[in-house]
Amino acid sequence: MNSMEAQLAGLIEQPPADLERITVTEAGAGDLVATVDSRFGPLWVAWSRLGVTGLTPVFAVPTIDSFLEHHRRVSYEAPALPRSLESDITDALSSGTAGGLSLDLRGVSEFQQSVLESCSTIPIGQVRPYGWIAKSIDQPGATRAVGTALGKNPIPLLIPCHRVVKSDGSVGNYAFGPEMKRDLLIHEGAIAL
Amino acid sequence: MKPRDASDETEIKRTLVSDRDLGFTMLVRRYQPGIYSGARRLTRLHEDAEEVAQDTFLRAYRALDGYNDTRIRDLRLRGWLWTIALNLCRTRAARPRQEPSGTDLDRSTTDDSPIDAQAWNSRLSRLSSDQRAAVVLRHVADLPIRDIAEATGRPEGTVKADISRGLDKLREAMEREETL
Repeated sequence: MNSMEAQLAGLIEQPPADLERITVTEAGAGDLVATVDSRFGPLWVAWSRLGVTGLTPVFAVPTIDSFLEHHRRVSYEAPALPRSLESDITDALSSGTAGGLSLDLRGVSEFQQSVLESCSTIPIGQVRPYGWIAKSIDQPGATRAVGTALGKNPIPLLIPCHRVVKSDGSVGNYAFGPEMKRDLLIHEGAIAL
Repeated sequence: MKPRDASDETEIKRTLVSDRDLGFTMLVRRYQPGIYSGARRLTRLHEDAEEVAQDTFLRAYRALDGYNDTRIRDLRLRGWLWTIALNLCRTRAARPRQEPSGTDLDRSTTDDSPIDAQAWNSRLSRLSSDQRAAVVLRHVADLPIRDIAEATGRPEGTVKADISRGLDKLREAMEREETL
């Protein structure tokens, strides 16, 4: 027979398995992750209470574990995206503009945030050089830093960093390879085949 | 990133200061099971315990917005969280509601544990609310007296007396059950 105190201590219970995930995501301190289909194959999408926080093609980051390691915020796997969010993302990808889709850039530096916001103003079918972004944020000497900030864009495709090219007109670098960048720009009609 | 496993209080507070959201996920992972277990004994339904275990942290997260770094470093995390949780438990206890149905099975009674959680719920329900909170926080949630005093807003000596009298009543209840 246990002592009374030992029996009381034995009343400890594990909470339901999903309570931590629900609490953290409800607070907005963590994200959920699921995939959405696109013409580049499935994409990992992370989202918080405030909007989309991350997007990466599965071909670049093939497993959920590697995506969770790669994503800047604490995240939990979800069975699927909410239907309305999935449809908004699909529309944004096909129209080339994020439109009313909410993006959550918390945790991104102020400089990178201003670079990404400026980049988001480039219309579909057009390109801008890195220097244009630097000037638009009143830091004309920061062209190289702009390139670095765009290279770390957590929400590519929805924030169209592929529309920023070298000043000589060549496509320049892209996180998922210059071929994908060229393909995107041809698809959007910004450059000729 | 993936949620980090339970960490000690100092590391959680340091992380709350440097990265509020990451620190919060560590706080939840470290302390939510204890809050849930305690709330399970202080509320009548497991749904209430889940709500308390969730709302405690949502309120804590909002409160952290108004705290500067020094205040966060000075927090005694479990005492602070239980201050919030006890208020929520009291609010739920005051709600008029139906008695728990037979489907509100206590998980402790459905596994191999020899501890009869429903019998304990019944014994604990006979204590005064102060005694019940003090006994549960000390012996189920494993809080030190100082944290219980902070959470209940009662002096440490009073908390010790609550625990002692509460345990006496529980012992008497068990003895009565044995003679039946």
